[in-house]
Amino acid sequence: MSPAAKVLLDLLPYLAALGVGVIVPKRKSLFERAAVGIVAMLALVLVRGLWPATPSGGAEEAMPREWPHLLNVVVFLPIVGALTILFTPRQSPALLKRLTLGFLALDLGASLLLLRVPMTKGWHFQYIVDWLPSLGIRYHVAVDGISLWLIVLTTFTTPIAAYASFGSLKGRVKDLCFAYLLLQGAMLGAFVALDLFLFYVFWELMLVPMMVLIGVWGGVEKIKAAYKFFIYTMAGSVLMLAAILYLAWAHHQAAGYWSFDYLALSRLSLPRVAAWLCFLAFSLSFFIKVPMFPFHTWLPDAHVQAPTGGSVILAAILLKCGAYGYLRFCMGLFPGPAWAAGANLAGIAVGGGILYGALCAWKQDDIKRIVAYSSVAHLGFVMLGLFAASQAGIEGAVLQMVNHGIATGALFILVGVIYDRRHTRLIREMGGLAKVMPVYAALFVIVTFASIGVPGTNGFVGEFMIIMGTFVSVPLGSNGTMQGVLAAAGVILAAIYMLSMVRKMFFGPLSNPKNRGLPDVNSREIVALSPLIVLIFVIGLFPGLFTSRMTETVGSVVERYVDGRKAFQEVAPEVTQPGLRERRGGPLERGYPLSPSERQAREQGAQALNEGEAP
Amino acid sequence: MNPIFPAGDFTLLAIIIALPLVGAFVNGVFGKRLGKEAVTLMALSSVGASFLASVYTFFALRAAQTAEQAARFHWHGWEWMRLSSRTDAMGAGSNVPIELAFSVDALSGTMILVITGVGLLIHLYSTQYMRQDEGYHRFFAYLNLFVFSMLVLVLGDSLPVLFVGWEGVGVCSYLLIGFWFHEDANAAAGKKAFIANRIGDFGLLVAMGLLVYYCGALDWKGIEAASSSLAQPVKYWPIGTHVPLAAALPESAANWLNAPRYASAATLVSLALFLGAAGKSAQLPLYVWLPDAMAGPTPVSALIHAATMVTAGIYLCARLAGVFVLSPAAMFTVALIGAATALFAATIALVQNDIKKVLAYSTVSQLGYMFLGVGVGAFSAGFFHVLTHAFFKACLFLGAGSVIYAMHARIHDTERSQDMRHMGGMRAFMPITFATFVAAWGAIVGFPLLSGFFSKDEILFKAYTSSVVAPGDGKLHTARGVIDAFVWPSWGPTVLYGMGVVAAALTAFYMTRLVIGIFFGSFKGWTVVPHWKEPEGDPHAHEHAHHAVEEALEGPAPKESPWQMTLPLVVLGLLSVFAGALNAHALFHSHVLDTWLEPVFAHAQSGIKLVENEEALAIPLLIPSVVVFLLGAGVAYWMYLMAGGEPARKLASAAPRLYQLLYDKWRVDELYEETIIGAVDSLADFAAAFDRIVVDGVLARLTALLVRASGGLLRLLQTGRVHVYALSMVVGLGGLGWFFVAPHATASLERNDGAGAYVLTAAPGLGYQYRWYAEGEQPQDFGQQHTYELTIDKAGDTRKVKLEVKNAFGRVDAKEYVVNRAKPDLSGLPLTIDVGQGADGQLRGDVRPQPGAPQ
Repeated sequence: MSPAAKVLLDLLPYLAALGVGVIVPKRKSLFERAAVGIVAMLALVLVRGLWPATPSGGAEEAMPREWPHLLNVVVFLPIVGALTILFTPRQSPALLKRLTLGFLALDLGASLLLLRVPMTKGWHFQYIVDWLPSLGIRYHVAVDGISLWLIVLTTFTTPIAAYASFGSLKGRVKDLCFAYLLLQGAMLGAFVALDLFLFYVFWELMLVPMMVLIGVWGGVEKIKAAYKFFIYTMAGSVLMLAAILYLAWAHHQAAGYWSFDYLALSRLSLPRVAAWLCFLAFSLSFFIKVPMFPFHTWLPDAHVQAPTGGSVILAAILLKCGAYGYLRFCMGLFPGPAWAAGANLAGIAVGGGILYGALCAWKQDDIKRIVAYSSVAHLGFVMLGLFAASQAGIEGAVLQMVNHGIATGALFILVGVIYDRRHTRLIREMGGLAKVMPVYAALFVIVTFASIGVPGTNGFVGEFMIIMGTFVSVPLGSNGTMQGVLAAAGVILAAIYMLSMVRKMFFGPLSNPKNRGLPDVNSREIVALSPLIVLIFVIGLFPGLFTSRMTETVGSVVERYVDGRKAFQEVAPEVTQPGLRERRGGPLERGYPLSPSERQAREQGAQALNEGEAP
Repeated sequence: MNPIFPAGDFTLLAIIIALPLVGAFVNGVFGKRLGKEAVTLMALSSVGASFLASVYTFFALRAAQTAEQAARFHWHGWEWMRLSSRTDAMGAGSNVPIELAFSVDALSGTMILVITGVGLLIHLYSTQYMRQDEGYHRFFAYLNLFVFSMLVLVLGDSLPVLFVGWEGVGVCSYLLIGFWFHEDANAAAGKKAFIANRIGDFGLLVAMGLLVYYCGALDWKGIEAASSSLAQPVKYWPIGTHVPLAAALPESAANWLNAPRYASAATLVSLALFLGAAGKSAQLPLYVWLPDAMAGPTPVSALIHAATMVTAGIYLCARLAGVFVLSPAAMFTVALIGAATALFAATIALVQNDIKKVLAYSTVSQLGYMFLGVGVGAFSAGFFHVLTHAFFKACLFLGAGSVIYAMHARIHDTERSQDMRHMGGMRAFMPITFATFVAAWGAIVGFPLLSGFFSKDEILFKAYTSSVVAPGDGKLHTARGVIDAFVWPSWGPTVLYGMGVVAAALTAFYMTRLVIGIFFGSFKGWTVVPHWKEPEGDPHAHEHAHHAVEEALEGPAPKESPWQMTLPLVVLGLLSVFAGALNAHALFHSHVLDTWLEPVFAHAQSGIKLVENEEALAIPLLIPSVVVFLLGAGVAYWMYLMAGGEPARKLASAAPRLYQLLYDKWRVDELYEETIIGAVDSLADFAAAFDRIVVDGVLARLTALLVRASGGLLRLLQTGRVHVYALSMVVGLGGLGWFFVAPHATASLERNDGAGAYVLTAAPGLGYQYRWYAEGEQPQDFGQQHTYELTIDKAGDTRKVKLEVKNAFGRVDAKEYVVNRAKPDLSGLPLTIDVGQGADGQLRGDVRPQPGAPQ
């Protein structure tokens, strides 16, 4: 076979997918057809990745080299984009929108490059440079199998949110574009930062554009909601700042030099009381962000008032920062207290999140409030998986973060669709919409099924792994079974509130005359939704694509969690001074900051080498 | 053996499953543009091809089974997800891979024939029945999707893959029940079905969790291999260590509450599985959705809610028979609930007038029979009834659909067109429908030699003769001693058999009543006018005609349905008559099905105990069945045909409240509404109010109020008037002045407990002079010495020291300090006890630390 024919044969499935995508849309718009086609092709590429490529002889082929600046590009591209937006004339909204989408698309492309490297244990794409050396503050970014998916989720969701919201935007385009890009940069930064100071900077930075998004483009009570959002999250993060400062000080006490580095601080052996207080400060900050009962009431208000794009980003990504933070920092830095508190916290996640959130969702009359409370329930599942801390539980939790981002993001876009047409989100104003908007109804029902976890969609895989992980969890002990049972009962409630909403919105007689003659979804909305819909099924059927890249990382997280808890148990109660634990070897410790004396020794060695002598 | 498809990689399974999915996709996405003909072609060809492939599979399986004992073909797709099993204390656990794999054996091989075969017939039937509907393509998309899900359910090689199909059929059922969604009742019925099924799915999820915990596997083979670990006892009560608040009760009650209770893991898993099965197969207490599900189009009722989906629960129990038989308690529960459902649903069916409702309750009742069979360990008998029921109940539903289709010629109201009080005498108009309906009637009521006669009798026979015994010594070896496990009660067989026989009598009665109501007597739908013509004009006027209920209708003679509808009827009617031959033990010693399924249930047979000489009972146990059939059918014949329904009316007026209670379906829906649904509803109301008032109130409003209040207080001071600030300065200066003028006798203590040396240091101040004196000493003059050293010789002793301070203004302040030498903490140190004889001759011990230990 000629090589050209072979290439053609290899490409055939992708071309077929492209063809199907181009034929499927009913409308004439070429743009829409092309977009759907590309989405279909990308989905196939993803699915193909599941099977090992045909061995091409060169089994010893070198692993793709990690370009150390890739993460810098991913994080700072949107920020550079935001600066570019500042110098673009306000009078040309089309240019602004295109620029924004261009930067976001470039960022998506850059983040997809992260997938080329197999996610083995340890850190990848690590980049370290001193920032404020006198305080031991460094710019230290790296990615592992957990943050990888959150980065991709971010770069994937933000363009969709931006694109969807450009449809209904009136005025202030420049500000909105700036906010989106800055927000994207800050969120990505928070996911890759391994220096606690750097993390804190990004963590706070993302509040500002989000508050602006709610406060400027929001609904009637936007200012109140924006304040509530800001103050809630701020209250948590100042406590975290205090804990970070204490940790840095404790490191100075124990090792003799300052460091804010995650890897260095995870070596600290803190006195019991201090460890508990720091754990509480960190976890309070993260629980507010997640949000966990009883700190969740900012979320419905923020969602109801936020514009569509803001809601999508808030639900899909911002909330994940809390869960990610708990996994990375609380479980990584304070395994002892996290383990000891795990069973009780899991009880809160089940009772206050999964069940209580679902019950509250049932009784709301605003669609967005329902979806917001459903987020509380879904994040309850995520947190349960983290507290269970079994391999399947954590993998399921990370996957569920991605799933929730996709399903809830799609739901908010869908709510935005009806809001644009009717300027209300009250359920009692709807009814019988399936008659006038059949495609919209079909999409809504599909996303609903994903949200309530029907097998075959992504929601099931995450919830299933979490529930099974809860049953076998060690930290939860004998409570695990009961919590698993109650979490499983949450699926009943999820069906109740989501299907009640669907029934009241779409089925029954078309009683409200205002709903007659509503146009069905337009091509912009289809284009925004189709990647999400495709991913719902891709993750539902091929979750291995995602979990296989996090297995090793999660394995080492579990291992360190168990180790760290054992070390914590050995700390005698009367120890009041921080100390250092044995340094665990392995690739995890790459990028560990050197103490001044070590650095000096190394520099002297290098100098000696340069001078041609043996060190 | 099989050259094209080896047993380990039986790709044909993927084709069987994928074809209906392709049909669903094409019809769902392109259906509107394709037109009705193409949709019909797509739907029928996909299911038809799938049927042919199933037939091929079936015969390949037969061929393989003669060669080896238990044939099982596999097709492995990809690894779906990976779970972790229970870990030991060190955190090491093994992986539990969940493969997206399918397999087929004798049991599922028979099921796929029913699914695709009956499915094909019903697809054909629907092409005519749904012809006028604008959602034609949508209907077939859903129907194909249903066939796909059902195949996944049956062919899945592990519990999670089965669960995909399990929920998939639930989704399709939801979509199809609410197919005519513009009527609120239909949408509500769909939702109700989905939620009742979800309650069952919850049970299945719990069962999977327990299986991962105890067996570390979820695929059939892995569960079977590890099923011995399910025999271990599990403490299920109290949850935690004790019942909260039990201490407040009298002691005996508290002890009773707190007493640990054990069950074997198999019992818990089986009961959780059975909850799932009861949801899907409409058993007590979750059956309420099935009668409402009749809101869907009639072919849907036939395919989903009679022939296939609702039997999934029995399939699940049969598939995991090896788990169920480990627990006699769970098996007895299954049997008892099955028998109770059979009886209970039959009583409701006695008085219903909606022909689909009668058939729905009859389905619930027949499903109860199947569970009775499965519960007593007669898995192949239960499955035999699944088969025959699929044929005769599908035939009955399609026949009812055919009648309703004919009634639609003039009556467009759904409720009235299904009411048997408007029918009657259809025998003359619809001969084929009548003949097939009667054949299916004969099967369900147990007319001797028809299929239902054999399958029902087999179940009743087994209910009387078999019981389940616990594995091993029949005891639970718990940490607190050996406990007796559940033993099959001696009254069990008699009671189960009795319930089954009574239900059979009721079945004969209500089915005969149904046939008479539809086909005999005179036609009551409208006045038949020969050569009647549809009135010209606005079709909508005619659409509204049914509003005038009292208005006497006129119309043509009802017509027999076209061949697309009668052909399936004939095929199913023939099957209802002859399918009994597969397993007609009692009379003909035919064991085809039993032999065929034997390898599947071989593993589970060990726990089943039969009474001695049970073969001799076969004929005697037949007699009551025949007698109750004659009795039930005869009474109905007399009541409704010979006496024209007069005795029934008399009976109803003699006990009007009982009649109303039966007519209202025992008011179970209302009971649930008042209790469970009401409770959850008010809980949700409470949660929402709690969230708004307490959580948001305390965390947001209260904190905001506190901040605002303190801000307001502080703002009061910031008046902006100079003399107020001057006043506060004066007050502040005065306070400071007072502080300096007053002396402060404060001192800090530096301890050295080990040596018993202590240093007190007084705080400095303006012109301070000090004097120190211990307890009992005379005070000296004031001096400049601001420290005071003292030693305490013995641990545990206390000394008191007084400090007086005089400042520049001559004012004096005094304070007493108590210094205590702490005893060294010896806990945790190795100690030596010296025992010696004192001067008084008594033995004394002296405790001291071992040499070398830190003091």
